[in-house]
Amino acid sequence: MKLQPSIWLRTAYARMWVRTKSIYGEPLWVVVTIGFPLFTSLAMALLYRSTGLNSAVGFAVLGGVMISFWGNVLWSMASQFQWDKQQGLFEIYISSPAPITAILVGMSLGGIIGTAPSAALVAFAGWVFFAPPINPFWPGVIVVFGLTLAALYALGMTLASLYLVYGREAEALNEAIHEPVSLLSGVYFPSIGGFSPFPFALQVVASLIPLTIGMDALRRTLFALPGLPPAGFDAIYLHVIALSVMAGSLLVLAQKALKALEERGRRTGTIAVRQR
Amino acid sequence: MSHGDSKVTVETENLRREFESKQGKIVALDGVSLRVKEGEIFGVLGPNGAGKTTMVRILSTLLLPTAGTARVMGYDVGKEPEKVRPLINSASGAERAGYDFISARGNLWFFSQLYGLPSEEAHRRINELSAMLGLENYLDRKFYALSTGYRQRVTIVRAFVNDPRVVFLDEPTIGLDVMTAISIREFLLSQAKNRGRTIILATHNMSEVDAICDKVAIIDKGKILACDTPSALKRSLGAPALVMEVSPPPPPERLEMLAKLEGVKGYTSTIDEERGISRVQVVVNSDDTAQTVLEATRKSEMNVLSSYRQQTTLEEVFVALVGRGFREREHEVAA
Repeated sequence: MKLQPSIWLRTAYARMWVRTKSIYGEPLWVVVTIGFPLFTSLAMALLYRSTGLNSAVGFAVLGGVMISFWGNVLWSMASQFQWDKQQGLFEIYISSPAPITAILVGMSLGGIIGTAPSAALVAFAGWVFFAPPINPFWPGVIVVFGLTLAALYALGMTLASLYLVYGREAEALNEAIHEPVSLLSGVYFPSIGGFSPFPFALQVVASLIPLTIGMDALRRTLFALPGLPPAGFDAIYLHVIALSVMAGSLLVLAQKALKALEERGRRTGTIAVRQR
Repeated sequence: MSHGDSKVTVETENLRREFESKQGKIVALDGVSLRVKEGEIFGVLGPNGAGKTTMVRILSTLLLPTAGTARVMGYDVGKEPEKVRPLINSASGAERAGYDFISARGNLWFFSQLYGLPSEEAHRRINELSAMLGLENYLDRKFYALSTGYRQRVTIVRAFVNDPRVVFLDEPTIGLDVMTAISIREFLLSQAKNRGRTIILATHNMSEVDAICDKVAIIDKGKILACDTPSALKRSLGAPALVMEVSPPPPPERLEMLAKLEGVKGYTSTIDEERGISRVQVVVNSDDTAQTVLEATRKSEMNVLSSYRQQTTLEEVFVALVGRGFREREHEVAA
């Protein structure tokens, strides 16, 4: 299909606008998205502080920031097409000339914009209450943070296409994935590397999750050991490569999976849900 | 793709669609061939389960045909969906597609962007179409706060927001009050007659077809049984239908003898529980046959309270073609 930049950009922008407006149109949802990561990360920070691990308090705050995005990827990206299908929106997308990648990218950008304030609030609250010691390498933090979000939302796009197959079970899949990924990716503690409590085989598995790589790289760039200079790019170049490869390949995978699902849906008649 | 004076915008040739189910293969469309011209409102009339929605889904590129071809504006919907999609739009009366926490205007603007409309043009069209449908004062309300009728108006505006050449509508007025349904029908007429838009209207609402369709294809069990103008179809029956009010309502098997009488094309029966009668409507080919039917009914010891002749409607056309009314047909399909 010939790419039409105008339709692509307009669709992506419009989908981003819808996502952002929808997030803020539901006050209760805003409270939930802020409350859940905020209180969990505060609890973890208190735990670290009470056990004397003051240098690890920052891990908890960073975990709260990143778990906000992970929750958004699962609940507002992965499940989105399934909900759209139930509402009759998916068939409107498919029968329009809008490229499906534009809709996915718009959903991602809207999700990032919609989640950013709650993530910022967690960071602000963590800083006010605990003032965790940081020793940042800001260029590295910015690059890794951007790449982690790209890889996470690309994963969300891939899951969105796969969840279309599972129908209403998608919600149960979200429940099933949320906690194990939070554990394996080490949101609140290092799950890979020298400080990981996991055996090597489990660390390899954990490394396949973009959040794991992103969290490890962010910890390295934000929380270098006191007295030592901040980490440079040499400490995170492997992370940067891994996250770039993950983001790129997941994007391609999401696009191909959706195309294949559309073709299958047109053959089997499963694009639309009969609503009466 | 010209045909006569007008351009043919939608064309199907031996269109067939099968679905696999646990009960085996289901044939939803069976050799459907039709031609629709530019500016026509073309009705696809049939009971639930006749294959109307399947046809609309194939034409709107959501479903591939198992065999045969379907072309919209000259493009094959199966092989060239990307060329068809910018030229069409579709809507269903059953859909409630919209984002709840966004205004009707916001939703419509969003859908216009899927077609790449510049925002200024999109808002101009939204205002213009909304005014035609009496929606202008509700555009800034959140989608969830709209009543069923106004949501349906939003759906209709959505279907025309990109100024499509061909629009597919599946039961667009189902479940709506009379005034809303009339306003939607008037809107559809204006789009077809004033703007030359082709509208394919899949429905089981016979009065709607009668009121606005230029041509109608009567479909049952996936096959087109007849295709002509509503008036030509009604004229083809020859004589007005005979309606008998019978009390007490006879068991269905006693009415079966009606179908065996010469000149009877079919019959349908509805029970009026409040009055304790059965209204038996018999499609006949002549006034003499009507007389014969009346006498035969009385002879078979059914108490005919009254009888009258009724102006032919598309219901009688369907009864003449299938031998049963819509409701009986739907019960048969459901069983």
